[in-house]
Amino acid sequence: MARFADPHAMQPSTPGRTRTAPPQLPDDFWSRPRMRTYLLFDATGIVYLLVGLVALRVAWALKSAEAWNALLTSFANPGYLLFHLIALVSAIFVGVRFFRLFPKAQPARIGPAKPPPRPVLHAMLYAAWIGITVVLLAILGGVWP
Amino acid sequence: MRNLLLRLEPIIWLLFGAGIMVGTLLLPGYLLTVTLAGPLGLLPDGALSFERAHTIASNPIGRVVLLAIIALPLWKGAHHTRALAVDTLGHHSDGLVASLLYAIAAVGSVLGILAVLAL
Repeated sequence: MARFADPHAMQPSTPGRTRTAPPQLPDDFWSRPRMRTYLLFDATGIVYLLVGLVALRVAWALKSAEAWNALLTSFANPGYLLFHLIALVSAIFVGVRFFRLFPKAQPARIGPAKPPPRPVLHAMLYAAWIGITVVLLAILGGVWP
Repeated sequence: MRNLLLRLEPIIWLLFGAGIMVGTLLLPGYLLTVTLAGPLGLLPDGALSFERAHTIASNPIGRVVLLAIIALPLWKGAHHTRALAVDTLGHHSDGLVASLLYAIAAVGSVLGILAVLAL
């Protein structure tokens, strides 16, 4: 059965002059394409939360060589590899979607300053993303310094 | 509890925003090397040896980046998981779910700060 949508989020600030039915969430809301992408974007939160907790384990493992080597061994476990592959796909999905939306969410001007045109801002975000990734790959991949 | 969450909203939103922006900028490089290529043996020998990893992480910039990789995804994750819970489970359990998720993120952040200071 359809349930009521969040009454706080959709309530008008003052009562309207006409009576309206309370907003309702359709049963199949989650399977509509736009909503599905939106829910998937939210669901990357679960992955990010776990990535943060695993990164915490990485930081604590840097205490001793034994702990560090044990960590790298456990990362070779197929379960960890699959999780981190999902995490990589999630991060790329979040980046592609967020960097596309970010330029549209900028204020038209802040005082005298105007943000760059949307395509330029979009390209700058990608340049930063690729640049940071290349630097991290070089440092953590043992190429530089 | 909802009142407290609303009062803290600006701080939570700032950390969430930093998580989605900075976290996403940093994650592919970290995930590709430390968690995928390293364990699969695709990196040059010694790239992720304890000495090298410790030197990188204990550098001042290394500490900040490591803390960002720990704490910011936690806040992005907590806030988005909360939004997912509101969308799928409804609003009535939001106070409890949100408090629990933000508590995980806050405790994780503190442990992350302690970890990078102890390097």
